[in-house]
Amino acid sequence: MDQGTLTDEVFAALGNPVRRQLLRLLLDGPRTVTDLASHFDMRRPSVSEHLRVLRDARLVSERRVGRERHYRLEAGPLLELQDWLHPYERFWRAHLKRLHETLEDM
Amino acid sequence: MTTDDPTTIQVDEFLPHPPDKVWRALTEPELIARWLMPCADFRLEVGHRFTFEGRPVPQAGFGGTGHSEVLAFEPEKMLRIAWRAAPSDLSGLDSTVTFTLEPEGTGTRLFLEHAGFDLDDPYQAAARRLMGSGWPGAPKALAAAIESGS
Repeated sequence: MDQGTLTDEVFAALGNPVRRQLLRLLLDGPRTVTDLASHFDMRRPSVSEHLRVLRDARLVSERRVGRERHYRLEAGPLLELQDWLHPYERFWRAHLKRLHETLEDM
Repeated sequence: MTTDDPTTIQVDEFLPHPPDKVWRALTEPELIARWLMPCADFRLEVGHRFTFEGRPVPQAGFGGTGHSEVLAFEPEKMLRIAWRAAPSDLSGLDSTVTFTLEPEGTGTRLFLEHAGFDLDDPYQAAARRLMGSGWPGAPKALAAAIESGS
């Protein structure tokens, strides 16, 4: 995976509490802009602007259903993020595998 | 396996070898070098400082040299070491690694706890705090989101 892309785009998008809250809401499933906006004490265009940033980072995607715009989570970057956030767990798992080999040779 | 505590990593592994043998692999420099990292100056003595020469973990801002210290130990049962980044590393990692050995059948269950990740350090755990307390449950929710998607 491209660490640079993940760090620059995704992390910039996630560096905001409103956008993190939007993602939390979308973890439950797709929602309309109206629904999402109802959770915030701000004007809808502001919420839409945050959604645009998330969309540009490919963390969410937008779909028009009639007159409503539905947003849903795009799992790809978040799964990369999950992989990114546990580098030490991978590190230890790899080394414990080698510990098995070392013990066999002792 | 991770706990709900985002500052800690816990991994455990069954090793089909008795605790005294596993203990040697954890505490003899030439054996440590075989499975973990070269650390020629390791000595089993509380307060003794030593370095690991390892592979860099760029995602974690770890340049490859771990600065460690024996913090506590109980022969064949527990070893706790400090796990610190070099001052020149991007990461300000100052963590502890605790190995706990428990006899299990004819072998040993090794519990490894790597604790003390600083959530304010972007190279340690920026990603972990992004989802706040909602993160531990996120993988499941993500899977569900993928299922229900497109």
